[in-house]
Amino acid sequence: MGFWAELEKIYYFMKRDIISFSTYKTNIAILVATALFGALSFAYLGSNASMQAVLELYNMDLTTYLLIGLAFNSYLSQSLTLVQKTINPWALEEVLVSPTSLRTFIVGSSLWGFIWSTAVVVVYLAIGVFIFGISLNINVLGTLIVLALGIGTFIGFSMIGAGILILTKQGDPVTALITIATTLFGNVLFPPQVMPTALQTISYLLPQYYFFTSIRLMLTGWTIPMILPYLLVLAFMCAVILPLGYGVYAWCLKTARKNGTLSWF
Amino acid sequence: MQNENAIQAIDLTKTFKIKSPPSSGHFVRRKTLSVNAVDNLNLSIKKGQLFGLLGPNGAGKTTLVKMLCTLLPPDSGTATVNGYDIVKQPMQVKRSLGTLFSVGERGFFWRLNGYRNLEFFAAIYNVPRQKRQERIMDVLKLVGLEGSAFDLYQRYSGGMKRKLALARTLLADPPILLLDEPTVGLDVISSRNIREFVRNTVKETGKTILYTTHYIEEAANICDQIGILRRGRLIACDTPNAIRAMIKQSELVYVVVEEITSDQIERMRSLPAITSLTENDEYAMGNQRGFCLELRSVDQVPAIFDFLFKEKIKLVNFRREEPTLEDAFIELTGRP
Repeated sequence: MGFWAELEKIYYFMKRDIISFSTYKTNIAILVATALFGALSFAYLGSNASMQAVLELYNMDLTTYLLIGLAFNSYLSQSLTLVQKTINPWALEEVLVSPTSLRTFIVGSSLWGFIWSTAVVVVYLAIGVFIFGISLNINVLGTLIVLALGIGTFIGFSMIGAGILILTKQGDPVTALITIATTLFGNVLFPPQVMPTALQTISYLLPQYYFFTSIRLMLTGWTIPMILPYLLVLAFMCAVILPLGYGVYAWCLKTARKNGTLSWF
Repeated sequence: MQNENAIQAIDLTKTFKIKSPPSSGHFVRRKTLSVNAVDNLNLSIKKGQLFGLLGPNGAGKTTLVKMLCTLLPPDSGTATVNGYDIVKQPMQVKRSLGTLFSVGERGFFWRLNGYRNLEFFAAIYNVPRQKRQERIMDVLKLVGLEGSAFDLYQRYSGGMKRKLALARTLLADPPILLLDEPTVGLDVISSRNIREFVRNTVKETGKTILYTTHYIEEAANICDQIGILRRGRLIACDTPNAIRAMIKQSELVYVVVEEITSDQIERMRSLPAITSLTENDEYAMGNQRGFCLELRSVDQVPAIFDFLFKEKIKLVNFRREEPTLEDAFIELTGRP
């Protein structure tokens, strides 16, 4: 079976998820409402805040800063748990006994989640543009590159978390840690430059900082050469974390299969 | 040379590490124990055979199925499925198999209908797109679910869910099926439907079937051959009748007679042909008495008739007792 056959499988993973998802109408309504109220409340918060001096670092107003941060934080949060959501042990066993590769399984099971996350981001940004009048000047290529690197990095984290979950069966510390680190040090709600120097160092060690800095700049008129140092660091982190995540996930899966504990949830 | 075995296992072993049960006191360190779930198992299943694997809970049936479908790697030994090594050629093995787990319905998506569920599995089992719709409807018809194809899976009964799981195993038309306790938890009618389907419909297609169960008579009724697993070892492997014969060390007969005195009973008990005599009036009426006689061999039966004739005792009923497969199962799995 060739590339097209694998692609078709991925399509059917996504189709399965869309049909399942579309039946949860209340859930969809809650998700949309959460996005809407989240965007509104933080936008108001931003417009009345007194962080102007700090935001001069990015040459944008606080509303724009917060909306972009929130929109893409929701995106990365979704990405972070995507692989874990696929490891329903019963579905996992049924797929693993089929002639389908682990790679196809992960991509296929995650794709719909990414599409939904993208829709959420679009809603956030649309609210920003049409209701709060924020100004976006999007570098499409740069945005796609930053997104790809961010998604790659977070899928890496997600696979590490999912792998640990397969072994421990009781939640994983990785996801919780990454979520907290993103909120505190990820440049989501405030720039790390306002923190003490020691805490700033933590930010500079995290891919979230480079992701949120780069994505904001790519949406507000900067060019790729201008943010190249950030992109290179993010690319390096992605190149390390993504294969590491795959390796950890594959190893944990192999270990659970060897121990016969795959379905012990 | 063409291999005539669809499934072959040689010295297959799988050991699990488990924690010992907690002893008194919360701070006592629990020991790690090794349990041989499958222990140097040797097994050959010929192509086209319906092979029943029997064993009590924990005998290693599911572990063996999981190893054969590549879900569990063996610790040692080898096994081939359709001629492919389960460790070295997992993709070829998966393409040769349709596997139904005893809790197989959990792999389905509850908010999709039966057809959409099978459509998803048809895609991941490489059923060609052009044939997919036809194939799905064919297997749904085979299992009798064509009328419920577009009902939501969550509305299916237990029997329907198991039938859909069976349909899934047939989607890619694999030459070998692994059916792990396909009737467990089902009512009598649903169980019979599944058994008849496996025996009459699936078997006719020439597929090889490994059918695990702990329902003894179920295996005896539908399987060509039966293997009995105990603590991960195959302790018997033969036809159902041959398995029954394995425990047939003595001959049991049941007689009902009329007007027999206590002295005559004692004289009958002391006959050299009889090793034991117990009274059993289950089928005796009025002045009749029933006896269960254990004989040294079937050759001793005429001696019983001679005795009754000489004593002028009227014989009302005579029946030879055959050991059931259940007797054989208990005898074989209960041995220390």
